[in-house]
Amino acid sequence: MTTVRTMHMAELVRAVRTFAASFRLQCLMMRRSPGDLAVLVTAPFFSLMFLSMTEQADRSALAPYAVAAPVLIAVWSMSLFVAGDLISKERGNGTLEGLVATPASLSVMVLGRICAAVTLSVFAFVETWLVAWLCFGVVVRLPHPLALLATLATTLLAMAGTATMMAAVFVLARSARIFQNTLSYPVYLLAGVLVPVSFLPGWLRPFTRVVFLSWCAGLLRDSLARPDIPDLPGRLTAVLVLGAAGFGAGRLLMRRVLWRVRVLGTLGQA
Amino acid sequence: MTAVEAVALRRTYDLGRGRGGGQREVVALHALDFRVDEGTVHGLLGPNGAGKTTLCKILATVLLPTSGGVRVFGNDVVSRTRQVRQSVGVVFGGERGLYSRLTARQNLHYWCALYGLPRRALLARTEMLLARVGLSERSDEKVDGFSRGMKQRLHLARGLVGDPRLLLLDEPTTGMDPVAARDFRLLVAELRAEGRTILLTTHDMAEAEAVCDRVTLIDGGRALATEHPRALGALVSRNERIEFDSPTADALPGLPALPGVVAVTTLSPGRYRVETTATEATKAVIGLLLDRGATSLTTTRPGLEEVYLKLIGNRGMEVGR
Ligand SMILES: Nc1ncnc2c1ncn2[C@@H]1O[C@H](COP(=O)(O)OP(=O)(O)O)[C@@H](O)[C@H]1O
Ligand SMILES: [Mg+2]
Repeated sequence: MTTVRTMHMAELVRAVRTFAASFRLQCLMMRRSPGDLAVLVTAPFFSLMFLSMTEQADRSALAPYAVAAPVLIAVWSMSLFVAGDLISKERGNGTLEGLVATPASLSVMVLGRICAAVTLSVFAFVETWLVAWLCFGVVVRLPHPLALLATLATTLLAMAGTATMMAAVFVLARSARIFQNTLSYPVYLLAGVLVPVSFLPGWLRPFTRVVFLSWCAGLLRDSLARPDIPDLPGRLTAVLVLGAAGFGAGRLLMRRVLWRVRVLGTLGQA
Repeated sequence: MTAVEAVALRRTYDLGRGRGGGQREVVALHALDFRVDEGTVHGLLGPNGAGKTTLCKILATVLLPTSGGVRVFGNDVVSRTRQVRQSVGVVFGGERGLYSRLTARQNLHYWCALYGLPRRALLARTEMLLARVGLSERSDEKVDGFSRGMKQRLHLARGLVGDPRLLLLDEPTTGMDPVAARDFRLLVAELRAEGRTILLTTHDMAEAEAVCDRVTLIDGGRALATEHPRALGALVSRNERIEFDSPTADALPGLPALPGVVAVTTLSPGRYRVETTATEATKAVIGLLLDRGATSLTTTRPGLEEVYLKLIGNRGMEVGR
């Protein structure tokens, strides 16, 4: 019993080390290749666009929405960008086989790397906040700093978990590119990134519940714009549960990827 | 203990459907039986396409066998993958396989972490390995700018991050300059002295003779023979050989008629070889040759090169992949 527990503990410690090292690796790689941070260039433009609409319509109360939306867009598109070819890039670089030969888990490596990329994309929040202040003189207040931090942190984790699944799907699916290119706007819509999901047609709403990003969007707006945040723990849990489900599915699919590598000797289509 | 044991190991690659609609496949390993003893340096010598890389990948758990059993230190590579990965380090040939945007040190830090090393141990092992392969001075440079030889050194260090009991080296010296190749041999000897088992694939027979305790000749996915590099010569010829110079051929008359002499051949103008069946005959021939003023006498056995040429033929000797 105790040996079983120590074994699990050792596994966990290993996983944490793999995660941390992969996180660091991704940061180093992105530092050496600033082009990978393109989402941080587009985020201020999104906020300029959204803010000019809300300000033009004299709806300053909506400014937090205009500040939050580009952050979620940055987080999502960054993870699509990194997850999209993470595995096939490792393959091309000749490192995939070396990684597979180590005792570490490939899913955890992917999770750590995407988490790093997503964390960097959260700097979009600083940018959009500054755009609101410098270009429109709108100071978006942060009435619930702790709730905001918790929201951002759970969003990062859930996003990385979900993106681990996408990384595997992109390898396994035939038309990964099309998938990657079309997966943004429908998600922005279903997640209520800009338009709250309550504004959507009724039949669409059940779908939004399973998109973890919709919970994040709601929490992010509430933590910026509302005097109180209803059911904060429950909603944070929902984000984490959906993210964990994504990671769980990602692990299963990643096994399938590994099986393909080891049986076929290639990542190619079966 | 047995480090590696493969029994009836078969591996095929699927090439998809052919023109006729039939499934096409390449058989890379054909019912291979193979064994490496712990603590030895074992060479795998064979032409391109012999199946050497396939075997290394299976031992590294990067490829699955199609059928047959393979154990590494008693652990099956399919059912006990985790244990096998803990005990094996692998260096695939070529320059790829490193993060070229990062420095040598950053690369090693990452690979060490994947073996679960805690921070302090990770830092220490990285420095030890950098020193060991002679890259300490250049450890903060990006791998991008490394020469081929430096990348190969880093690859070697990378193969050692998990402190492996079995190290797989797939053509580690291809393209190395002679000095680097000598350093490499020293390193292999050191690793062996530490009790590690090394499986080394190569085209280079001089290298195999210099560093290996045993050599397996492999061709077409089959092991042809496994022997001590010198003992392999016996496969080609049991005869002893004496080579000598005799510019005016004065030493030759009557040699073929001596008891135990089976052949006298001209190797080049003025240089000859006598083959005998027994040590007694060899002594008599040497005595006679010395009397007749022959010079540069050497006794030889068939080298690995000759064995290789005889068993495998004159193909696939070029370096490539
Ligand atoms: N991924 C692959 N797909 C199809 N055929 C392969 C693949 N890898 C190797 N082969 C084939 O398998 C055989 C053995 O190759 P390999 O193990 O690389 O030999 P070696 O390392 O001795 O040169 C060759 O005929 C090669 O063409
Ligand atoms: Mg090869």
